[in-house]
Amino acid sequence: MIELFGVFLLALAVITAIGVVQARNLFAGVMLMGIFSLLMAATFFLLDAADVALTEAAVGAGISTVLMLSALALSGAEEKARSRSRILALIVVTVTAATVIYATFEKPRLGDPNAPVQQHVAPWYFDMTQEAIEIPNVVTAVLSSFRGYDTLGEVIVVFTAGIGVLFLIGAAAPKGRASPSQGDLPVGLKHHQPIRVVGKLAIPFILLFAFYVQFHGEYSPGGGFQAGALFAAAIILYGMLEGEATALSIIPAPVLFAMSAGGALLFGGVGVVCMLLGGNFLQYDVLLAGSPVGAQQMGIIAIELGVGITVAGTLLSIFFAFATRDQS
Amino acid sequence: MMFAVGAAAVTITMMLALLRALLGPSVYDRVLAVNMLGTKTVLLLALTAFAMGRPDFIDLAITYALINFIGVIAVLQFFYSRDLRKAEERAAKSAHGGAVGPSQAGPQ
Repeated sequence: MIELFGVFLLALAVITAIGVVQARNLFAGVMLMGIFSLLMAATFFLLDAADVALTEAAVGAGISTVLMLSALALSGAEEKARSRSRILALIVVTVTAATVIYATFEKPRLGDPNAPVQQHVAPWYFDMTQEAIEIPNVVTAVLSSFRGYDTLGEVIVVFTAGIGVLFLIGAAAPKGRASPSQGDLPVGLKHHQPIRVVGKLAIPFILLFAFYVQFHGEYSPGGGFQAGALFAAAIILYGMLEGEATALSIIPAPVLFAMSAGGALLFGGVGVVCMLLGGNFLQYDVLLAGSPVGAQQMGIIAIELGVGITVAGTLLSIFFAFATRDQS
Repeated sequence: MMFAVGAAAVTITMMLALLRALLGPSVYDRVLAVNMLGTKTVLLLALTAFAMGRPDFIDLAITYALINFIGVIAVLQFFYSRDLRKAEERAAKSAHGGAVGPSQAGPQ
């Protein structure tokens, strides 16, 4: 039953993807990308991957639509006509697709109990989560404790990607520039009272929910990545309603840069503290003397906080870099 | 059974909304289609959460509802600021006798 709906949603996703490629109007493309993200998130959810679905919801459907629109505001509305031959690109895409499809023939079927992953890896994670960490959300345990190195790598990737974007589109705007939104023009959606009032009402709830996702990640779907994106979404909403300058006066750009770097530093710092206390890098057991389970939970909360801070700082830096960039 | 009927209804509505987003023709059709698809996703998630016997997954549906709202505000702001900029450029053009301002001549 669930599979039927999953296949149906995936078919819709394929149609949407073709629509994105076909769209000449870039705004239509952005809207279709949003739909694609929603469909993928629903599919993830049907496959019982609630943490992934939550990430897709927060980042894919929300933040990336906002960032795409910010980029679109700086560019033209239509895709440029292509005159060059695209045969080479077509060959590369066909070969890659054929390879990927060929690879799926060897893949075990969905939920196959004889698949290698079900033989020793997954049971070990399930047993050890109950035994060593005692939290209900196995995903959080795997992500932050068993495979903590990978997550540290991901956080560094997020941080590096943020640096890359800021490097390309300019982190600090020159002082005293004449922005088209300054002067007598209204800033943001300030003059639209209904949107402003309702939007401002939503902000505290989004922030509260972000903190809930952050600190309840051991018990329910969620964690640092999702919470960071939700936190960023709340600030972005404020920026859109009141104008970017007002939002930047609450969280100035240097604070955002410090957040991006500080979160990754906190993550790495926890690892170093573990080493100083006589354990291995990111071996949380040693954090609390006499209580390895409590120490594991402490370590997980600390590194999830680091992940959340980095994600929020990086997403907000990128958004403000786009939004405050001059139109010229 | 109840779940199946509900989910089927929601997925068919999603398909119709997607059709509207693909066909357009105006941008407002697409905005509305995206918004509607978001609402249907929230519904589908809530339905599935209860069908799977895990009502705590309703968290996700809340996230969608909150995030969807931000997306729509972003679209509004995009068109609003674009219209403002166009009006400003038109005003500048007529004031300078059709001279192209630096904002248009500047390098991209």
